Amino acid sequence: MKPPPFDYTAPRSLGEALRALADAAGDGKVIAGGQSLVPLMNFRFARPGLLVDVNRIPELTGIRRRDGELRIGATTRQADAEQSGIIARGWPLLRQALPHVAHQQIRNRGTVGGSVAHADPAAEICSVLLAYGGRVEVASVRGVREIDASDLFVGQFVTTIEADEILTAVVVPPPPAGTGTAFHEVARRHGDFALAGAAAAVTTDDRGRCERASLCLLGAAPTPIRRAAAEAHLVGNELTDAVLAEAVALATADIEPPSDVHGSSAYRTRAAREMAARALTEAFARSARDRGQRKEAS
Amino acid sequence: MRVEINLNGKPFAADVEPRMLLSDFIRHEACLTGTHVGCEQGGCGACTIQVDGRAVRSCLLFAIQVDGSTVRTVEALSDERDGALHPLQEAFRECHGLQCGFCTPGFLMSLEPALASGPLDDEQAIRDAISGNICRCTGYAGIVDAVRHASNTIWNDPDIGTVDDLGSLGEDAPRSGAGDE
Amino acid sequence: MSEMIPRLVGQRVKRVEDPRLLTGRGEYVDDVHLPRMLHVALLRSSVAHARIVGIDTAAAAELPGVHLVVTADDLRDRVQPIVCDILPPGAWQTSAYPILADGKVRFVGEPVVAVVADSRYVAEDALEAIGVSYEELPPVMTVTAAEAGPETQVHEAWDEAWFTHKQLRVGDIDRVFAEAAGVTRRSVEVGRHTGMPLETRAIIADYNPSSNALTVHMTTQMPHIMRTGLADHLGMPEHQIRVISKDVGGGFGVKAELYPEDILVSHLATRLGRPVSWVEDRREHLLGTIHAREHFYELEAAWDESGRILAVRAEIRVDGGAYSVYPYSASMEPGMAMGVLTGMYDVPVYHADSWAIATNKTPLGPYRGVARPSACFAMERLMDAVAHDTGIDPLELRRRNLVRADQMPHTTPSGLEYDSGDFEATFRKAAEILDYDATREQQEELRGEGRYLGIGVGSYVEQTAHGAAEFVKRGLPVIFGYDTSRIRIDASGNVLVHPTSHSHGQGHETTIAQVVADALGIEIERIRVVYGDTQDVAYGSGTLGSRSMVMAGGAAHLAAVELRDRLVRIAAHNLEVDPGDLEVADGEVRVKGSPATAVAITEIARWAHHRPERIPSDLEPTLEVTSSYGAPPGTGAFSHAVHMALVEVDPALGTVQVLRYVVAEDCGRIVNPMIVDGQVTGGVAQGLGGALLEEIVHDAEGQPLTTSLLDYLWPTAHDVPFVEIGHLESLSPFTIGGIKGMGEGGAIAPGAVIAGAVEDAMRPLGGGFVRKVPLTPERVLNLLNVDPTGRVPESHEENQK
Ligand SMILES: Cc1cc2nc3c(=O)[nH]c(=O)nc-3n(C[C@H](O)[C@H](O)[C@H](O)COP(=O)(O)OP(=O)(O)OC[C@H]3O[C@@H](n4cnc5c(N)ncnc54)[C@H](O)[C@@H]3O)c2cc1C
Ligand code: FES
Ligand code: FES
Repeated sequence: MKPPPFDYTAPRSLGEALRALADAAGDGKVIAGGQSLVPLMNFRFARPGLLVDVNRIPELTGIRRRDGELRIGATTRQADAEQSGIIARGWPLLRQALPHVAHQQIRNRGTVGGSVAHADPAAEICSVLLAYGGRVEVASVRGVREIDASDLFVGQFVTTIEADEILTAVVVPPPPAGTGTAFHEVARRHGDFALAGAAAAVTTDDRGRCERASLCLLGAAPTPIRRAAAEAHLVGNELTDAVLAEAVALATADIEPPSDVHGSSAYRTRAAREMAARALTEAFARSARDRGQRKEAS
Repeated sequence: MRVEINLNGKPFAADVEPRMLLSDFIRHEACLTGTHVGCEQGGCGACTIQVDGRAVRSCLLFAIQVDGSTVRTVEALSDERDGALHPLQEAFRECHGLQCGFCTPGFLMSLEPALASGPLDDEQAIRDAISGNICRCTGYAGIVDAVRHASNTIWNDPDIGTVDDLGSLGEDAPRSGAGDE
Repeated sequence: MSEMIPRLVGQRVKRVEDPRLLTGRGEYVDDVHLPRMLHVALLRSSVAHARIVGIDTAAAAELPGVHLVVTADDLRDRVQPIVCDILPPGAWQTSAYPILADGKVRFVGEPVVAVVADSRYVAEDALEAIGVSYEELPPVMTVTAAEAGPETQVHEAWDEAWFTHKQLRVGDIDRVFAEAAGVTRRSVEVGRHTGMPLETRAIIADYNPSSNALTVHMTTQMPHIMRTGLADHLGMPEHQIRVISKDVGGGFGVKAELYPEDILVSHLATRLGRPVSWVEDRREHLLGTIHAREHFYELEAAWDESGRILAVRAEIRVDGGAYSVYPYSASMEPGMAMGVLTGMYDVPVYHADSWAIATNKTPLGPYRGVARPSACFAMERLMDAVAHDTGIDPLELRRRNLVRADQMPHTTPSGLEYDSGDFEATFRKAAEILDYDATREQQEELRGEGRYLGIGVGSYVEQTAHGAAEFVKRGLPVIFGYDTSRIRIDASGNVLVHPTSHSHGQGHETTIAQVVADALGIEIERIRVVYGDTQDVAYGSGTLGSRSMVMAGGAAHLAAVELRDRLVRIAAHNLEVDPGDLEVADGEVRVKGSPATAVAITEIARWAHHRPERIPSDLEPTLEVTSSYGAPPGTGAFSHAVHMALVEVDPALGTVQVLRYVVAEDCGRIVNPMIVDGQVTGGVAQGLGGALLEEIVHDAEGQPLTTSLLDYLWPTAHDVPFVEIGHLESLSPFTIGGIKGMGEGGAIAPGAVIAGAVEDAMRPLGGGFVRKVPLTPERVLNLLNVDPTGRVPESHEENQK
């Protein structure tokens, strides 16, 4: 299991990196944490002619809050995101999801941007980005642009990021006050890619009625998917058993998850229903708790 | 391409193809064979080393990527003590945390930084810290015991000094905020 | 037999080997760097069953850095394929496992072309330049398909689908079944999985043309057997071959075979006159290293009103894969399964048929426990089924059927001679540790809260340290009848021990030193145990079948005792006393009752080497003894254990959490309790892997779907709880010190125990009979569609697969 030969460059600036990628004319590939790319190369499933290592570009790393939004530089390590106070306080869904990503040593190297660019259908970070309605910033020699998460994931391991583009940052808007979040997944072992999972963010009003809901499933389709019909059904309602059942049914009615050695499509569908139910229930409860706490404080 | 690193406190350099895995570089160029290779897929943790203080898998890095970095392997643990065992190594021996020993360097490299940042004596936290390292021989019991044992030795040792209770933070609370700006 | 007076034996002695391994100074095969060394990569078959139409290696051979590309054509008449037949008599069909596929491939992963290059990187580049054209044949992927008589048999000359078929008939079974109060029938199966040591296999062969000597560093559990195997298959005199196996990163049985790569790499080294290295990668390991388990059972038990089992009928089919493996043959799995099936239970009437059936899969062989985990699974599933059918508590039902202590020694219907043990007491111990009754109450209570806990019970008798008698019975071509230890006391009074057993985690450097220290009366620090080099000691079997402590430990004890007698005679000669008045302790030989009159062993050692005039005239100078030991009568020492587990099932997801795991075990005299506990826990971890996580799966075309660690799941630290262990020590009457073998045991029962526990947890929800492990979450959920007798409604067959 040794990788095929390739050329390598580790530019110190984004401009140089973009130039190298453009010059490689489709035969170049960005390497960030390498935690997905290197195994693929070791198996010789991936064979880029040129590797552009973006780890030495200072402006690509770091977690900051800007205009209320969370901005995570592409090469920020997943472990740093996990430890981040900004994320834990402001974007708890991401914090809840991160421990499910592989293992400590992999998170120590794997990057937030790499996970998003890699677009594994069961990747936790991708589903959270989608659930929060975030976006990514990408750059190329042709210029910079933003891609909404809802337009980003188009297939298994396929995004709308072009071959000459580099993802520079992940941006997440602030969730409204009183939002409760929950992340649930089932995997064969802790740290494995999920058989099924759900990320939920729910904002409720004083009477426990849902004002805003976001539900994203992972591992249920070739990409992470937002479940708009279920979300719409929740809005305006309290979470009764009937409302939950209907929302879960709407969320999972049309999914056709892939089958593999770990579980059939039928199993995953069933597990997805359970994950959606648990995530929604917990998100509602957290929202209520959060509201209660704020009331007390005021 | 030329790769120059600080390897266990000493400079080391060699000319290698860009595709040479860091695990091969350490084992076959620097001839430090304490770092083991069990899969080259990122699935076992045997190859775990530290790059700039962080435990990472050396089979998922190309040597060229760590040019200029500080790399630390299992050999450093006792070399730095003139051959005496590190408290973590002592604890592994005391608690029968190893059998064939093939996984052991990877565990030690994963655990050393984890223990350096604070006590690690809660069973679940220990299991989280080692979930990326496979041991096929021990069933982990001796390893979990060893970590607890080492944590007690290191954090109760008056020479090393104690720290505030880092374990008391809530579920969603940050632990270090290392990546924040 | 010479007595063992335990001093260090029985103590929790810290391991001697640890400092080396902890500091990264172990020496595993791939750590050996030889000058001018070349590297091999193998092109393996990408199809399960095909004729090879053509192989084009021209482009590969042209690549810079490539030294040699070889196919079967280049090996013909130079090396022999691996043939491992059983000794007659017995129904048997032979297979020849080629060193490189010759004309036909029979499983995905079979080596087809070898490339030798400057580096493994370049060698793998060359593989991509090789073209092989196959004419595909329909693959035979299941035992059912094989038995149905496929278009093309795996081995075309065969008349039947099997390597071997064996039968056992004890008692008038038809009468017993006709008269029984009830009959319970089930079919069960154990999935294919494998040993997966953390270190893969590796070989470095180094040929020295001037001395015509071949040195082979290899990851093997049995260096001497490998030396003979290499000599036979290379056509080279055995005295020109040296096998070295120093540190090995786990074996578990899958490094105790002769593989095509072993012969190939050795051959390439002699051919090129340069050291040649091959290090298996994990993908190759999952394809080319033997697989294990994959047993299918049809079972029937006849019982009386009290739940006593009167008779058992069994059909046992093992999916043997494509070839018979050396040195066990494909007969070992079915034969052993048939032999050990009844376990701790007193089953007077027993009929069984067993087959090893050839399929287009990786050859199957021994992995920790060998056939026992499957047989234990089958028998304990049957016991749980009888408990269900009779309405008797599963623990109580088992107790009623045990072979009692007053029946020892006991001969089983299959002819095993249980030497000792109090099975009832072991059951009590396990139940006590778990607190069975309280746990049942807790289970009941939690059900009220919607939580589903289950208790599982399993037991086994483990024949260990099988001697000659057992292997002769099995018809194996290599009879592992004995092991050997060579001990030398040097002029400084230090002791060097060379056992033929090999340690790949078991800690022999410590335990064998404990035995020798006790026999010689010296401190363990003066003893060095070095294993793994065929040059160091005459001959022995190596480490397999939980034999080392009994066999090599026994041999070490015998050699040490003989040396002790020599020390005593030299001391007596010089002290001018009768040897019978002397004793050995604390590093000296002294007069009993008058310890001041003593000579240090260091002093005697000096005399033995430098002062011949101080040695009695009928003694040779120097102090070296080699002893072999086979634990006569060679029927084996029988360890046993009872396992229990408490699990919690999430009934919505089918996930299983093992909350508690209890083992009560009896392995005779314990030499080092720390090591015994470590072996038990490690075995349980592997057993839990097979029960819940690990399975090698193929699609209908014969493609393995589990060739990476994303698909083949070994247990992590989250998947194995602390194992709660209790010990009993019933000494074997047949072995030195009453030691029984251990090491494999932990892995035997978890499949059975977890299956029982999950079934128990799911029953209040309407869950049915568990017929297969591993219990993936999906299989657990599907229990809700299975009736209690194990029948699957047709529409759910698919999901059961
Ligand atoms: C054993 C194991 C278990 C794992 N388990 C999980 C899991 O449970 N959940 C999970 O989500 N992940 C898991 N991963 C994957 C891990 O999270 C990776 O870190 C992540 O998928 C990719 O991030 P990376 O930085 O390592 O990217 P790389 O491997 O460097 O790159 C991945 C892909 O993204 C592209 N890319 C990376 N960065 C950029 C960029 N800035 N701009 C454009 N393209 C870019 C690369 O070209 C490549 O195609 C696992 C990995 C391993 C080895
Ligand atoms: S060798 Fe690197 S993770 Fe297994
Ligand atoms: S001690 Fe052998 S793999 Fe851990």
